[in-house]
Amino acid sequence: MQESEQIQLATLWFLSARAMAVAGEEMAAVQEAATGLYAQAILGFEESVCRKAKDVEHIDNKTLIDCLSGVRQLPRELAEKILTGVMMISYADRKMKPLEVRWASMLASAIEVSPDDFQRCCVNARVIASMLRPHGAPA
Amino acid sequence: MSKQETNFQFLEGFDKRVAQLAKQAEKYVHTDPDSCMFKLRLMVETMAKKLTNLQMRSDISQDLGSMLGALERGGIVPRRQADSMHAIRRDGNAAVHGSPTPIPTAMRRLHEAYKISGWFCKVIKRGSKVNLNDFAPPEPPAPLDQATKSLHGKIDELEESIERRRLATRESLLMFGPQENVKEVTRRIIEELKALDNVAAAAGEPIIDADFVALVMAMDLEQIEEDPRHGGDSRQARREAEQQLDFIKQHLAEREKVFLAERTFLIEQRNES
Repeated sequence: MQESEQIQLATLWFLSARAMAVAGEEMAAVQEAATGLYAQAILGFEESVCRKAKDVEHIDNKTLIDCLSGVRQLPRELAEKILTGVMMISYADRKMKPLEVRWASMLASAIEVSPDDFQRCCVNARVIASMLRPHGAPA
Repeated sequence: MSKQETNFQFLEGFDKRVAQLAKQAEKYVHTDPDSCMFKLRLMVETMAKKLTNLQMRSDISQDLGSMLGALERGGIVPRRQADSMHAIRRDGNAAVHGSPTPIPTAMRRLHEAYKISGWFCKVIKRGSKVNLNDFAPPEPPAPLDQATKSLHGKIDELEESIERRRLATRESLLMFGPQENVKEVTRRIIEELKALDNVAAAAGEPIIDADFVALVMAMDLEQIEEDPRHGGDSRQARREAEQQLDFIKQHLAEREKVFLAERTFLIEQRNES
């Protein structure tokens, strides 16, 4: 994948992730840290790509509708990875808020996952979220 | 700067303890850089405690890293100042644990402490004017020979490159970019989410609806809480998950009610016209 495509994809990730974190009302430190770690460790973006993805020129003009439409066009496997990461961010603070639920349902519907696939992504997210704060450390 | 002078005299009028620690750090920078770092770390800790007591709830952990994190997340300490405070904390901890501090590193942190001090004074006494002069590095007790000067130059370059590297890693991990206005972006996202919530309440989601998502999330949250590493009380975990699910259901029902009321209003208006 070319760097410009990588940046575009990373921008989609950061948009989806920050929407979930903001929907959770209190942005916990663990969510912030998890966003960057997931981008590099699971989605495989390099540091420089993650930085460029958050440059104003790339991210500032994109809305959540753009994000939904972008995620919809991704290959299924990649889109599911993004959904899993977003659910992990939601689970990281072990709380569920109305806008989090709505963002998750909109994202899942945009990707067109089946209920079974959605549950599978959520189980994976739950496992990763448990690893982030293994001993009930503060959020 | 002569031996009797100090960069930190202005602090006396704001916080005597912080001023004293800063002056001591300044005094030790050449002769005992480790002690300089202890003092700077203590200075930052004193500042963080004062800021926490003044501006935050009382249940914040008294651990310096946690205090700085909470102050930064609470928007009380801006990112630049927080970075400097964290750098002092890290190098102070390293010195406490026996890692020797080079003089250029201590000098760099002293300079950062000077900049933080100016900002700190403005925060603890709102409206106060603090015009900082340029930082005057304390002079060494004896002139440095050429070899030492060259070594200090190399250490300084190394410090600079470590800081650039650390900043790059940090920026890549954070959720927002350094040029972004986090408050404004957050406000915009909330507006968009609320608008999407309204649209979804009216039109529904075609495949995965919010009721289903809420149920799945509640079950997962229950399992996370049930994990022995998080407490492991099944009944408590279930109670909490059910409470959260009830709250979401209530929200969804309210959204539905609002939508129905709006639709009824529109129909009535159309009938009247």
